[in-house]
Amino acid sequence: MYVNLKHHTLLGALSAAFLCAAIPALATTPEHQERHFTVKGHPLVVLQNIVNGRIEVKSSKNPEIIVASTAANDRVAIDIEQVGDRIDINATSLAASSDPHEVEANFQLTVPEQTELQLRTQTGLIYVEQVNGDIKLQSVAGDIHLKEVSGYIIVKTTSGNLVCTQCGGKLDFNSISGGAQILQPTLNGISLMTMTGNILYDGDFIRNGSYTMNSGRGLIEVRFSGNDSFDLTTKNSTGTVDNQAAQFLKPDSHASRHEIRSYRRLQGTVGQGLAKVELSSYSGTIRILKRD
Amino acid sequence: MHCKDLESVLEAEGLTPLPSEAQQHLAGCQHCQDLLADFSAIAVAAKTIPAEMQPPDRIWVSVRAQLEAEGVIHEPVDVVEIAAAPQTWWSNFSALFRPRNLATVGVALALAIGAFLQTRKSSNPPIRSAANIPVGANVAAGTAPEANIVPQGTASKLALPSPSEAGVTLQQAEQDLPNIQLAGNSTVDSSLRQNLRTVNEFIAECELHLKLNPQDELAREYLFSAYQQKAELLAAMMDSGRSEN
Repeated sequence: MYVNLKHHTLLGALSAAFLCAAIPALATTPEHQERHFTVKGHPLVVLQNIVNGRIEVKSSKNPEIIVASTAANDRVAIDIEQVGDRIDINATSLAASSDPHEVEANFQLTVPEQTELQLRTQTGLIYVEQVNGDIKLQSVAGDIHLKEVSGYIIVKTTSGNLVCTQCGGKLDFNSISGGAQILQPTLNGISLMTMTGNILYDGDFIRNGSYTMNSGRGLIEVRFSGNDSFDLTTKNSTGTVDNQAAQFLKPDSHASRHEIRSYRRLQGTVGQGLAKVELSSYSGTIRILKRD
Repeated sequence: MHCKDLESVLEAEGLTPLPSEAQQHLAGCQHCQDLLADFSAIAVAAKTIPAEMQPPDRIWVSVRAQLEAEGVIHEPVDVVEIAAAPQTWWSNFSALFRPRNLATVGVALALAIGAFLQTRKSSNPPIRSAANIPVGANVAAGTAPEANIVPQGTASKLALPSPSEAGVTLQQAEQDLPNIQLAGNSTVDSSLRQNLRTVNEFIAECELHLKLNPQDELAREYLFSAYQQKAELLAAMMDSGRSEN
């Protein structure tokens, strides 16, 4: 009798424990929602994802914006509003816990090719592909991947990395520990600043373009082609310059020769020097090389 | 009266003598006392900032982007008037920084701007003038500010705060952080804290280097850039903490 009672008690306790574990799991099952908005001209999408989550943006030929989201309804409030050609999307936490950032909301947006974007998230990846328009992206720890994007692009992260592939227009990147990779760009102006991250620029410099890359402690690597034409200036305080393309750099005829300074500087010209390239690092390495 | 009501009163009326209802709430609310202390400290610090400064374009772009991101401004702002109005520009400027974190950022940025300009005293390249930014230049619309040049030496005539002032202001802001409950062990907050350590290490490294090589303008530029990063990071951390309240 005593053994049976003990057995039943144990079973009951296990059942209760199972139910307790299952109920929250059921309650937080993510739900998928999709909404369509008809727009004209060049729309603006503003997405503030105050919780964690991934944001993916792709374009289509249709004059509509599709917002697909996946989030647990009881933990995340997603508000979407259309005002003319502007779509405002806000994801905020409903969680009563002390850690609302652990709540997640993921978004998939389909927008017209000519769309202006302002996206902000905490930790998830932001991925934007084939969108032409001014773009402002902010992330704390999430990476940002851009592919075939053009416009005036502003990217700000705390530790997230940027990978920009075949991007055009102007790019402004600012981060503390995030790095930036600029691959096959058609950008005519960039300003990259990271305190400890690495910077890789692999591509051509467009005539009359202006390219500034700064990293406090990280590696800045620039790979240019033989057809490029640019004036190069490197500056560093305690870092080093690994110039693997010295034979392609002519003395810079445009440089000031009487400047008094206490940091180290290297100047040179490739081709006619039509673009302007400035690389600086406080204590990191600047590497310059020519692609095969 | 609740905390939000008091914040509304502060926003509407500033630090002028508060209504009795607000004072009653203030007497029993540590959070609001801290808030008021912050505002008072900011007001004191603001008075030490010179009335006329001409920070580089990128600082204005950064400030403007921050304001737009926070929704504080929506329409193009006449930057020229703000920058040029003697004695009153800071009060106009700081009026934009209603939330506490933005106010902190504003002070820190302004100090960093001043300190940054100070480094230009002996540099030969001309500097950009924010006062010449086209009125209503729309960053989001892709209109990059023109590189307007002012003659060298203009900045050197200004009485500007020292780099250490910017550092001290930021240290004071950082000391408030332990009082702010961040989101615990989340990825975001650990990232913010880790990056704050990174920034602090970098600042210490630059400051030490500058003691030994005071003429290293590049190191000084990186130092002020780090100050700016730290100000923005502290604002983000305060914002993160406030979302818990």
